[in-house]
Amino acid sequence: MTTPPRFFHGTVTALENVALARGTYRLRLASSELARAIAPGQFVMLRFPDRLDPLLGRAFALMDTVRDEHGQPHAIDIGYYVVGKMTRLLERLRPGDRLSVWGPLGKPFPRYDGVRELVLIAGGIGQTPFLALAQRALGLVGYSNQPARRECEQVRLVYGTRTADLLASVEDFQRLGVVVHICTEDGSAGYAGLVTDLLAELPRPQRGDYWVACGPMPMLRAVAKLAQDWQVPCHVSLESPMACGTGICYSCVTPVRSLDGWDYARVCLDGPIFDACQIAWDKI
Amino acid sequence: MDLSVQIGSVRLRNPILVASGTFGYGREMADIVQFSQLGGIIPKTITLEPRAGNALPRSVETPCGMLNAIGLDNDGLAHFLEYHLPYLRTLPTALIVNIAGKSAAEFAELAQRLSEQPGITALELNLSCPNVAGGLDFATDPRLTFQVVEQVKRVCRLPVWAKLTPNVTDIVPIARAAVDAGADALSLVNTFVGMAVDWRRRRPILANVTGGLSGPAIKPLALRFVWQVARAVPVPILGIGGITTLDDVLEFLVAGASAVQVGTANFFDPTVTMRLVAGLPEALASLGAQSVQEIVGSLQA
Repeated sequence: MTTPPRFFHGTVTALENVALARGTYRLRLASSELARAIAPGQFVMLRFPDRLDPLLGRAFALMDTVRDEHGQPHAIDIGYYVVGKMTRLLERLRPGDRLSVWGPLGKPFPRYDGVRELVLIAGGIGQTPFLALAQRALGLVGYSNQPARRECEQVRLVYGTRTADLLASVEDFQRLGVVVHICTEDGSAGYAGLVTDLLAELPRPQRGDYWVACGPMPMLRAVAKLAQDWQVPCHVSLESPMACGTGICYSCVTPVRSLDGWDYARVCLDGPIFDACQIAWDKI
Repeated sequence: MDLSVQIGSVRLRNPILVASGTFGYGREMADIVQFSQLGGIIPKTITLEPRAGNALPRSVETPCGMLNAIGLDNDGLAHFLEYHLPYLRTLPTALIVNIAGKSAAEFAELAQRLSEQPGITALELNLSCPNVAGGLDFATDPRLTFQVVEQVKRVCRLPVWAKLTPNVTDIVPIARAAVDAGADALSLVNTFVGMAVDWRRRRPILANVTGGLSGPAIKPLALRFVWQVARAVPVPILGIGGITTLDDVLEFLVAGASAVQVGTANFFDPTVTMRLVAGLPEALASLGAQSVQEIVGSLQA
C-alpha cells in the first residue's frame, strides 16, 4: 500500500448520520484519503462548502475509521453533540449530502507501549477519540498505514455524562473488552457523581498505569490534579475553538509551562494531546 | 496569459499573495499549498521583542466573518532571524516580511536589521494592528504615518509597503502621507474594529473586548477603500478584505488593486489560493485580457 498523503482537503459525501444518544451523533464521511492517513487523537475540520455562514470550519476528533469489504479504510466517523450553529446544521445532514473537510490535523495519541492499564477518562462528548484509541492500544486495529499491534495489557474507560440519555457508544467499548465504569451527575445511570469522584472510588492506580482524559476543562483540571497527587502519568486531549485547525490563526492557544514561566502553545498544532504536567493550569 | 504584476520595483509571478497573520510563518502550510504557485507570502507580524499576545478567547465567528484580537503573539525578531527566516527564504515565492514597532524608531530598527538579510523581497509595515494597546495604531494619523515610513525608508534598502487601517474618517490623507514619505506600495486594508457581545452573561465575547473584523463580510467596505485610494495616489495597491473567490480577486483588480492578499479564507478554505491562481487565466480571458496588469484599475465609474 502506498503512503497516504499527509494532508487532504476536499468535498466529501456523508454516508450516515446516526443518533447515538440525545443530541449526540455519529457522522460517517466517505474519504479513503483521510481514512488511510488519520490516527486516533487527530481531528478534521468540517465546513459547509457553499455557505458563508457559518463561515469557519469546526474541529471534530476522529471516532473511528471504517473499512470496506476488502479491508481497506474508506471512510471516517466523527462524533458530535449538538450545541451551536454548525452542529444544528450537521444534525440535518442526510446521506449523500456534501461537506468540505480538511485534515488529518493535530498529533495522534502517542503509543502506550508497555503500559499495564490504560485508563481512558471521558466527560460528555469527550469520549469521541477513545474508541479508536482503545482499538489501537488493544492491537485490534491499525491506523495511518500501521499494522495492528498491542500496546498495553488492558484498557479501562471511566465515562461520565450529566444524565443517562447522553451516554453514547458504551456497548462499543464493552465489545472490545474494555472495562467500562459509568457515572452520571444526576445518578440516572451508574455511579452518581463526577468522573473524578468515581476515579477516587476505584482501585488506586498501580505502577505502569497511564491516564488519558478528554472532556470539559474543569474535568481535565480535576483529573490532572488527581493524577499528580497519585503520581500517575496523564495525557489530556484539549478542546479549543479553532478558526483554521492548521496552526495559522493563533486562536486556539493554551498556556503551557516553559523554561522561563509559561507561553501559549497552539492546540491544533502542538496538541490536541498534552502531558497534563505541561499545561499551565493556573493560567487558564 | 501574463499573470505577473509589478509592485514598484518588485515583479511578482502572479497577483495572489497571502495576508500577514493568516498564513503562520509558511511552515504550517507546507503540506497544504504549493508555495511556487503563490505570488508571495507575508508571514505573521514580527515585533522587536517577543509578545505573548492577548488572553482568550482571541477570536469569534460573526455572520460571514470573524473577529480576532490575537495581539501580535510572536517570538520576536531574534527568533524570526534564527528560525523562521532561514526556512522562509528557501521557499520558491516572494517573501514580504511584516513588522510592527511601538515607535518610529523601533520600526526603523526592525527594518534596518531585516534589510541586512538576504532573501527578503519587501517589507510590509503593520501600521494598523487594532488589537494592541499603547499607540500601535500609527495609521490613524497622517503625521505619524509619514514619520514611520520616512524613518524606515532612511535605513532600509528594501521596498516598503505600508499596511493601512480602515478605521479612519478619511484614508486619503494617510495614504498620501505614506506615499510622500516614500512608501513603494500600500496594502489596503487591515481589519475593521468591531465587537461581539454575550448578552446573557452581559460580557464581551473577546477577552480584548474589541477585535478586528475580517472575512467576506468586509469585502464591500475594503473595495471602497481600494477604489478611493487608487484614484488618489500613484503607487500600486495590494487589495485585502474578505477575498475568497475568483470574482472577489477580479473585483479588487478592476477597482484598482495591482495584486491581492488572501486572508481569512486561508482559515476556512486552506487550499483556496491554489484554486484562485489556477482559475485566473480563464477569468482574464473572459474579459478579453492577455495580462493581469491591463485590467488593474479598469473600473469605469
